[in-house]
Amino acid sequence: MHKFMFSRKNLGIPYGLFLAVFVMAPLLVLIYFAFTNGQGEFTLLNLTGFFSDPNTLGTLCYSFGIAAVTTAVCLLLAYPAAYILATSRLKAKSVIVLLFIMPMWINFSLRITALKEILTWAEGSLAYHPFLNTVLGMSYDFLPFMILPIYTTISKMDEALLEAARDLGAGGLQAFLKVTLPLSLPGIISGVSMVFLPAMTNYVVLDMLYNSTYIMGSLIGSYFASYNWHGGSMIALILLGIVCLFTLMTRGIEEENTRGGMLL
Amino acid sequence: MTVKRKRTGRICFLIFCTALFLSLFCFIETEASGKAQEEKQVTLRICNWEEYIDLGDWDEEDTIDLDSGDIIGENSMVEDFTDWYYETYGIRVKVEYSTFGTNEDLYNMLTLGDTYDLVCPSEYMIMKLMTEDRLVPLSGEFFDTSDKENYYIKGISPYIRNIFEENEIDGKPWSDYAAGYMWGITGIVYNPELVSKEDASTWRILNNPAYYRQITIKDNVRDSYFAAVGAIKSELLTSREFIQDADYKENLEREMNDTSAETIKKVQEYLQDVKKNAYSFETDSGKADMVTGKVAANYQWSGDSVYTLDQADEDGFTLAFAVPEEATNIYFDGWVMLKDGIGGDKAKQHAAEAFINFNSRADNVIRNMYYIGYTSVISGGRDRRVFEYADWCYGADGDEEDVTEYDLGYFFLGEEAEGEEYVITAPSDQVYRQLFSQYPSQEAISKSSLMDCFDEEQMQAINQMWINVRCYNIHDIPVWTWMVAGIVISSLLVAGGKKIWEKHKS
Repeated sequence: MHKFMFSRKNLGIPYGLFLAVFVMAPLLVLIYFAFTNGQGEFTLLNLTGFFSDPNTLGTLCYSFGIAAVTTAVCLLLAYPAAYILATSRLKAKSVIVLLFIMPMWINFSLRITALKEILTWAEGSLAYHPFLNTVLGMSYDFLPFMILPIYTTISKMDEALLEAARDLGAGGLQAFLKVTLPLSLPGIISGVSMVFLPAMTNYVVLDMLYNSTYIMGSLIGSYFASYNWHGGSMIALILLGIVCLFTLMTRGIEEENTRGGMLL
Repeated sequence: MTVKRKRTGRICFLIFCTALFLSLFCFIETEASGKAQEEKQVTLRICNWEEYIDLGDWDEEDTIDLDSGDIIGENSMVEDFTDWYYETYGIRVKVEYSTFGTNEDLYNMLTLGDTYDLVCPSEYMIMKLMTEDRLVPLSGEFFDTSDKENYYIKGISPYIRNIFEENEIDGKPWSDYAAGYMWGITGIVYNPELVSKEDASTWRILNNPAYYRQITIKDNVRDSYFAAVGAIKSELLTSREFIQDADYKENLEREMNDTSAETIKKVQEYLQDVKKNAYSFETDSGKADMVTGKVAANYQWSGDSVYTLDQADEDGFTLAFAVPEEATNIYFDGWVMLKDGIGGDKAKQHAAEAFINFNSRADNVIRNMYYIGYTSVISGGRDRRVFEYADWCYGADGDEEDVTEYDLGYFFLGEEAEGEEYVITAPSDQVYRQLFSQYPSQEAISKSSLMDCFDEEQMQAINQMWINVRCYNIHDIPVWTWMVAGIVISSLLVAGGKKIWEKHKS
């Protein structure tokens, strides 16, 4: 008789089930819809349609633009903050870090609603600068995700490396450029991917800050509202592809980098 | 060490199994006890708009003290229905109540496998479901006026009943399948301090540069399309010959439902103009923005307008409602039963129809109207309480001087009746405020047009138009953006490439 042996591997079963039901199954449905038409026949029209329509391509570019600018703003704000925080000898350091994380504990739509009031007060009307507002809203929302990984990598860095650089005659700036910056690259990369990807699809911020131009998320919504699940699924699938590509790329760079780190 | 780990593993496994067994046992247990009661129980799955029924729990001060008696919502309408159904018919009904956000969401839910017995979509979705043969017709008993519990057929406004009987799809009148719930028209809510009544009384306000970035419009293809058609055909629709034509009503509906390629193109141009001029396309923030003063005017459904005006009153400033002179879109939300859910189950169908009737009883109509702000299709028939409620809401106090006689005969008595019996003496400003939103004047109603359920081809063309309006066209990207993007990407590539090159060299 075969004895059932309980091993630690079995503990993975619930997660496996979860994965199968909530990740794999919907994905298969998505793929099915993306490559069929209304009659349930196989078609590539949804795919070719996406790449030949100036609207969908324009929307993709617009989403990309918003995400890129948001990421850049976040990086420019987060890096100095994280650097100062990690290298300072402040006693209250953990309190300041907490201050950066705290907004994340408040409900997201509540925060954007508050931001809405502030921006209205500052600009007179939100409708005058929709792009700017969207970028501000997203940066505000995603900033902690950029600060935390950078802060962690810089604070884990061995200070002896900097001392060695100084001993070998490097100035402050040079030491920063040649030692700190390359070593904090993994933090930057994970920060960038944590900001860039959600920023590309987060249409709630757009909606709440009255940007009347669609990004990818809202475009999918409008396809579904006109019962075109096939076109909508294809857009979702293409987005998924882009996300995968991006993740692979960043992982590639990260691996390169850790190897580089070891060499150093 | 290994033995010990094995033992703890086994204990864990045992605990896990016991838990699994116990939970399974509980499950069977509840199933069985459920079966015992089932003989006398009907389950009714209802799907309605969000916040579209009285959820009860009113404060004491919300009591509606009509002369004929107080009305207050203590429990939710659904709870009251289950109690009432048991008392009246001796059958327990279990209502599984859920909600949807848009007609399209509901349609997607139905198509992707959710089953409901009774749903409450708008008229065009009812038509779509009718053409797809997904509805169960209302039973003959439902229309029996001698049954004292048949509040719907005894109470429906003659004006609405007429519309439901006259409008057909595939040769079948709506009334065979649908029972009305709420109705209204579309118009413009505006701040009279910033916007003149004349400006607000036309769809052309949406691209009026005098209100640059001060107007919101609905983020919804159908509503936007209607407004745009009204605006581009403004001259024709307001011309004397057009209005005085004997077939005015038919002509109006034909013009407003024009989906010719040329019109769609003009609509697109108009809406692109609106996008540049308006504050935003909004899904749900329009009411709040109007009340907080972020915008000066707002495209609104009349039911929401009542709510918006009430809110503003509470904050101490005045808003008003205008119906565009070109045309207004009259809409209905109605109850329909689905084949998927009801099937041939007579007990279920009876409960579903009873639910409609219960919600059509005058006191419940008033509770729903008070709670959600929309206007019921029920006028009450012999039961005058619905009219009494309208008078209670909007009638002038005895000492008011500036009053107007507001005639609601068309709704409560039917179009042909004299209607002297149904006149509200209201403060004059109510003629363009809440009273007007809740019960539009006959004059406003005369300009009302239904909006067709467009067929697939028309819908596709209109949706494409909408995407063209809302999306950023790749040809619109300025050259400098391409250049900046090119520089950034190529410099990133060069930096990355250089690094890899160096590494390989070392």
